Amino acid sequence: MAKIIGLPKLSPTMEEGTLVTWNKKEGDTIDVDDLLAEVETDKATMEFRSFDKGVLLKILVEEGQTLAPDTPVAIMGTPDENIDALMAEVSKTGATAATESAPAEPLPVETTTAEKATPQASSNQTTTAPQNAQNPGKVIASPLVRRMAREQNIDLSNVRGSGDHGRVIKRDLANITPNTSKPNTHHVPLPGIQPMGVGPDQKEPVSQMRKTIARRLTESKRDIPHYYLTVDVDVAPLIRARAEINAELEGQGLKISLNDLLIKACAVSLARQPDVNVSFHGDHIVRHQRVDISVAVAIPDGLITPVVRNANLKGVLQISQEVRELAKRAREKRLKPEEFTDGTFSISNLGMFGIDHFTAVINPPEGAILAVGQVREEPTIQNGELVAGKRMRMTLSCDHRVIDGAAGAQFLAVLRRHLESPTTLLL
Amino acid sequence: MLEEMRLDENIVLMGEEVGYYQGAYKVTQGLLEEFGSDRVVDTPIAEAGFAGIGIGAAMVGLRPIIEFMTWNFSFVAFDQIVQNAAKLYQMSAGQLQVPIVFRGPNGAAKQVSSQHSHAVEAFYTHVPGLWVCAPATPRDAKGLLKAAIRDNNPVIFLEGETLYGIKGEVPEVEEDEIIPIGKAAVAREGTDATIVTWGSPYYTSLAAAERLAGAGIECEIIDMRSLRPLDMETVLQSVRKTNRCVVVHEHWPYAGPGAEIVDGIQRDAMDHLDAPILRVTGQDVPMPYATNLEENVLPTEARVEEAVKQVCYRQ
Amino acid sequence: MAAQKDTLLARYKDMFRIRRFEEEAARGYAKGKIGGFLHLYIGQESIAVGASATLKPDDYVFQTYRDHGTAIARGTSTRAAMAELYGKDPGISRGLGGSMHFFDPANGFYGGYGIIGGHVALAAGAAFKSKYKKEGTVSMCFFGEGATNIGGFHEGASLAGLWKLPMVLVCENNTYAMGTPFSRTSPVEDITKKAAGYGMASDRFDGHDVQEVEARIGAAVELARSGGGPTLIEILTYRFRGHSMSDPGKYRTSQEVEERKKRDPLKVTKTQLESLGCSEDEILALENQVEEEIADAVQFAEEAPPARHDVMERSVYAPSNYVYPPVGQP
Repeated sequence: MAKIIGLPKLSPTMEEGTLVTWNKKEGDTIDVDDLLAEVETDKATMEFRSFDKGVLLKILVEEGQTLAPDTPVAIMGTPDENIDALMAEVSKTGATAATESAPAEPLPVETTTAEKATPQASSNQTTTAPQNAQNPGKVIASPLVRRMAREQNIDLSNVRGSGDHGRVIKRDLANITPNTSKPNTHHVPLPGIQPMGVGPDQKEPVSQMRKTIARRLTESKRDIPHYYLTVDVDVAPLIRARAEINAELEGQGLKISLNDLLIKACAVSLARQPDVNVSFHGDHIVRHQRVDISVAVAIPDGLITPVVRNANLKGVLQISQEVRELAKRAREKRLKPEEFTDGTFSISNLGMFGIDHFTAVINPPEGAILAVGQVREEPTIQNGELVAGKRMRMTLSCDHRVIDGAAGAQFLAVLRRHLESPTTLLL
Repeated sequence: MLEEMRLDENIVLMGEEVGYYQGAYKVTQGLLEEFGSDRVVDTPIAEAGFAGIGIGAAMVGLRPIIEFMTWNFSFVAFDQIVQNAAKLYQMSAGQLQVPIVFRGPNGAAKQVSSQHSHAVEAFYTHVPGLWVCAPATPRDAKGLLKAAIRDNNPVIFLEGETLYGIKGEVPEVEEDEIIPIGKAAVAREGTDATIVTWGSPYYTSLAAAERLAGAGIECEIIDMRSLRPLDMETVLQSVRKTNRCVVVHEHWPYAGPGAEIVDGIQRDAMDHLDAPILRVTGQDVPMPYATNLEENVLPTEARVEEAVKQVCYRQ
Repeated sequence: MAAQKDTLLARYKDMFRIRRFEEEAARGYAKGKIGGFLHLYIGQESIAVGASATLKPDDYVFQTYRDHGTAIARGTSTRAAMAELYGKDPGISRGLGGSMHFFDPANGFYGGYGIIGGHVALAAGAAFKSKYKKEGTVSMCFFGEGATNIGGFHEGASLAGLWKLPMVLVCENNTYAMGTPFSRTSPVEDITKKAAGYGMASDRFDGHDVQEVEARIGAAVELARSGGGPTLIEILTYRFRGHSMSDPGKYRTSQEVEERKKRDPLKVTKTQLESLGCSEDEILALENQVEEEIADAVQFAEEAPPARHDVMERSVYAPSNYVYPPVGQP
């Protein structure tokens, strides 16, 4: 008996999804859990797997269409089954189910997306062709090069190896610019220059993620009475602590960042000052008994906040590894919904872009977000002496409906104490 | 030995031709005159016997030094060294210690062919309960021998048969310089490749490194000095810096400390390697007599050079 | 007469202790409490006991893997010995040595060795030290007739003779090297003929009478102690049990074993005691003491804590500050 297959709800906040690709075509035999299609939701590109078995008799929507959950997208049944009745049903209800925003005609987008303009892409164009034509996708590289590629986010598949058997070796990377700038350096590579001023403006469709960002942040900024508290912290001790930890990890191929330490410090501070670890829900307030830190991660066409759970209870190394793994999968759009929802506090760090200071928009229903700037080297007075100091400015945005000024300020004081004397994190 | 024997009358020296003949390689020159035949004991050709007597005496409190005229002759005493010296401390659950040094020249001399040219380190490093030293420089030989004599365990002390003629500065008596067993030395600093070596091939490696420097390749040379325990930390530190490694040794390629070092590197510095680790070893044949053959069986400067270039992808 | 009776009673007790220890060890092996190789000394007790009677506490004794009897005769406690067989921590070698490797230097027992022959050279080494340090001690080395063909024996004996070391080499000829009768492995039946080649004195006699063993070995010990050099002694004896617990003993007839049992050293000594006026009750009282001791040893071994992993790991190298990283105290 043939049946209509509707678009599943693939994220807790999904209000619509774009069917990006069909992985099956009409006439294909489908088994339970076969990959039918990929669907871009507000957060990620999700796999749409079949709950049924049978033959894919009819595909009802084209690739690129944006649809509400449960919109009919296909009909499955037995071979040569008559589906006229079902088609009629679809044409009746389908029109109302699909949202009006579904852009049926693809826009003539050329090359202005951020991803295409990254320096990695441009520098790769200067290197020679992929090294292993018969075996595409398989890269032979020395272990050292694999580590460097991991750390610097270099795609080795486009690098020609000059070692034995086409092995990519260290010197082959000499001309490759890493994909992302290293954290805590201000040297943001210049984006590749695109020809400008010679054509009409271009339109591009709004992605699901962009829509979600727009909606949620507008709600937040409109509905939440934000106020801002800024501190300027001496981070020399924190930098020393990081150096000591990294010296200890040397040789294991492991490294922690200032941001990892910051996550730990915020988590411990929240546990000590739980008045900031709260959510406002109109008729009630939730006081969280867990400390789950959302970490804002920039991804090619948006931003996402994977969550480090119970960060107050975890070691810095574990936090570091989790953040790295989550960020990696965020960039690949492979995060599961439970990995980017339900945090209790957010951190947004733009220090790596050389930003001194900014204020961030609260990520509801969380009550606060910390905006972190870069480490600045500047003269500082210490015990009446002028010394070369290392400072970092941080601004806490609080939801005044649930966090009063004194509570926010106390939290910042605790956080500052932990950052300026990292050994107190051991307490 | 002289200095240590003056300090401790429990030290006795035993071996073939160590006394009246003054040592087959003149290592023990003058000792008989100073210490008498009770302490500098000439033995018959009976390695199993005098090695066993040394071990037995060590078990009950002496600190014997047993000289093998060459390590090639130690195989007839293998049972004593492996079954007794190495295991007595363990078999007796720590009730008996065996503070003894077995020493003598190791490796090929010149045209002495198959039965007199063994580099024996692979046999002895295999055995828990033994320490194994293989110094290359006179200073290391002295400092390590002092440590070996004072140590409470059996020590296999491998002197390079071709190295007895090497002259070098050694510290004075008063300095009493001890070089701990199990500590390698960075003999030459470099950035492009690490050469790990010990014993006679140390000098081959140094010469090769000089020639490579001319070609713009700077080698770091690690002189292991001891082979059990192995100072992998020093090796790893260097390999993490240079990303490439060649191990140069005289013993046969099949197993042994050379292979052990390679294993340690792959385990703990995998992510730092830019090329497979290569070994330059004595060839896998019994030593031939003819000079032209022998020269190529041993690690040569040319083979070391070639291997370093290969790991640097410079061929 | 009374002194002789007391001494002989003491010897009997020592021999009976070894006999009962070995019998209980066999039982433990049959019950699976003891593993590996187990070589019993039953039938040869008069040698260990007679020989030990001639030695001072700081003399050195070396034995092959058939070592329980000699160690116990030297003073090793039956508790520590049985615990070793059970592979337990309070064993005389803390469970690291087992049946073949008893070590008790505190009682002058320098080990049971599994690789025979080489230990003759070790014993010569102890004698070398004794001579070098002018200690006045003697090193006594036991071995079977089977060991007299191996190189280690020749080199050790040869050097002991060459350097006139204070040493007594005691060959316990129990007729079979494992399953091979001596006549099939040695060109000469009389082992003491080899002594001439090592430049040492020799003696050869039957070992079933503990008093004779004590007297004849005693003479050799005195010779060694007084600087007269080593003696090679061959004692003809017989083991009633197989070579080890896994030896079915098919190479000899039961009539042969029964015939030899008539000359069981314990029986011989008992007859001697009776002729010295010793009552059945006196002997029984002594035997009961030993029974209690052995029962206690078995119970101790059963209940003792197991051998320890950390002890094993710490027993590979002796403490040293001359190695990097240093080896600490165990």
